[in-house]
Amino acid sequence: MLRSALPGLVTVVLFFVGWEGAVRGFGIREFILPAPSAILNAAIAIWPTLLNHTLSTLTTVMLGFGASVLVSLPLAMIIAASPVISAAIYPVLVITQSIPKVALAPILIIALGANEVPRVIVTFLVAFFPLVVAAVAGLLATPPELIELGRACRAGRFQQMIRIRLPFAVPFVFGGLKVAAALSVVGAVVAEFVGADAGLGYLIQTSMAFFRTPLAFAAVVTLAIMGMVLFVVVGLVERILFPWSSSATPVTPA
Amino acid sequence: MIRLDAVGKVFAGRDGSRVTALEEVSLDVAPGEFVAIVGASGCGKSTLLRLVAGLVPVTTGRVSVAGKMVDEPSAETAMVFQAPTLLPWADVLRNVTFPLRLMGRAGGDTEARARALLATAGLAGFETKLPRELSGGMQQRVAICRALLQQPRVLLMDEPFGALDALTREEMSLELLRIWQETGAAVLFVTHSISEAVLLADRVVVMSPRPGRIADIVEIALPRPRGFEQEGEPAFHAAAQRIRATIYNRAVPHAA
Repeated sequence: MLRSALPGLVTVVLFFVGWEGAVRGFGIREFILPAPSAILNAAIAIWPTLLNHTLSTLTTVMLGFGASVLVSLPLAMIIAASPVISAAIYPVLVITQSIPKVALAPILIIALGANEVPRVIVTFLVAFFPLVVAAVAGLLATPPELIELGRACRAGRFQQMIRIRLPFAVPFVFGGLKVAAALSVVGAVVAEFVGADAGLGYLIQTSMAFFRTPLAFAAVVTLAIMGMVLFVVVGLVERILFPWSSSATPVTPA
Repeated sequence: MIRLDAVGKVFAGRDGSRVTALEEVSLDVAPGEFVAIVGASGCGKSTLLRLVAGLVPVTTGRVSVAGKMVDEPSAETAMVFQAPTLLPWADVLRNVTFPLRLMGRAGGDTEARARALLATAGLAGFETKLPRELSGGMQQRVAICRALLQQPRVLLMDEPFGALDALTREEMSLELLRIWQETGAAVLFVTHSISEAVLLADRVVVMSPRPGRIADIVEIALPRPRGFEQEGEPAFHAAAQRIRATIYNRAVPHAA
C-alpha cells in the first residue's frame, strides 16, 4: 500500500518544489502565479472563513450526490428492466447531458431563487448520468446463467432484479459512484460561480475580483482535496459493506 | 416420473429460418432412475433438458413431470448447469440455500440440512467462503448441493462435470452416485463422455443430430454400487461400443 503510493507522492512533492523554485527564481508576481508557500500562508491566515466556505460547498456536494444516488439506482433498474422504457428514457437522459450545466445554472437560479435548491440541482445533473450508465451496465452484465438459475427457481422479474441483477451490479455501481463523487464537486462549484454567497466557488470568484490569487488557489487546492477524500470514502464504503466487490473490479465505464 | 411424449422443438433463427432442434422424442424416466443422454454437439441434448426444466416451451408434443404438464419451472425439478453459476456475492452456505430462500420455502431446518449436505460433499468448513475462494471442482460441488437441498424428485444435470479436469471429474462422478442413491431422485444427465454415461446410468439415451432424435436407448446392466473397476468388464465395453457405433454411424457419413 505504502510502497505503491510512494512514486505518486514523490511526483507531487517534486511538482510543488519545482513550482516554488520557478516562482522565486523567475520573480513571478504573486497575483499572476503565487508560490505554494504563499498559498499556504493565505489559507492559514483566513482558515475559519475557508472552513465555512468548505462546509457550504460540501453541503451542496453531499445533497447533490445523495440525490443522484437516490434517483439513479431506481432509474437504472427501470431502464434495465424493459427495452421499451430504456428506448423511451435514454434519449431524454442524453439530452440532459448535452446541455452545458454552466448554461443551465443562471436560468435555474432565476427560476428557483438564489438558494441551495438550484445549486443542488446543478450538482445532481452533473453527477447522476455516469451513475445511471454504470448501474445499467452492471444490471445488464449479469451472466445469462445466473438469470436462468433464477428462472429455474421460479423467480419473477422483480425478484430477478432485486435478488440477482442488483447484487451483481454492485461493483459497477461503485465504479459509477466514484466518478459521480468527483463530478459532484465540479457541479457544486459551477453552481456557486453563478449564484451563491458562500462556498469555495464563490470564494474563488470574489478573490480573483480583488486579485487575491493566493486565496483563490487555496480554494482550488481545498476542492481537489475534497474530491480525493470523497473518492477514497466511496472506495472504503465499498470495501467495508461489500468486501466481495472491491476485488471483483469491473471495467469502469468512462 | 418424467414423461416425454412425441416432443418437438423448433427455434426461429435470427434470419427467420426455422431450425428443428428436436423431433419426435419420446422417453419415460422412472422414479429414482438415472438416465444419461449422450450425442454429438448440436443434437439437442441441452434443449431436451431445458424443456423438462420448463425453461423453454415445447413446440409440439407434451412434457410432464410427476404427472403434471410442464409449462413453467417446477418445484419438483432442480437443475445443475455446466458452469457452477454461483452468486459471487454470497458465501457457500447462502449459495446453497439461495433457491429455497428465493422460492420462500426455507424453513427452520434449511441451514442445518445445508450444512449436512455440504459435509457429505466434503465441503465442511467452507460454509463461509466466497465462491472465488474455491477451486472449480469445489464450486461445482456447491452447485450440486444447491440442487439437492431443494429435495427435487427430478434432478437435471447439463454436463455438470464438463468444465472440470479429468481427475476431478472421475472423483465427482462416484461422489454423485453415492449422494444420488441416498436421495432417490430421478436423474437426467447430459454428457459428452460415453464412459461417464455408462458408468453412471441405468439407461443411456443416444441422440443423433439435425434434427435431434433418439437413435438408441442402451440398458446398462452393471450392478450397483458402481466403480471404475467395472470399466474392465465385458458388459461395460459392449455398452460403450454399441453407443459409439450408433453415434459414429449417424454422424460420420454426413460429414464425409
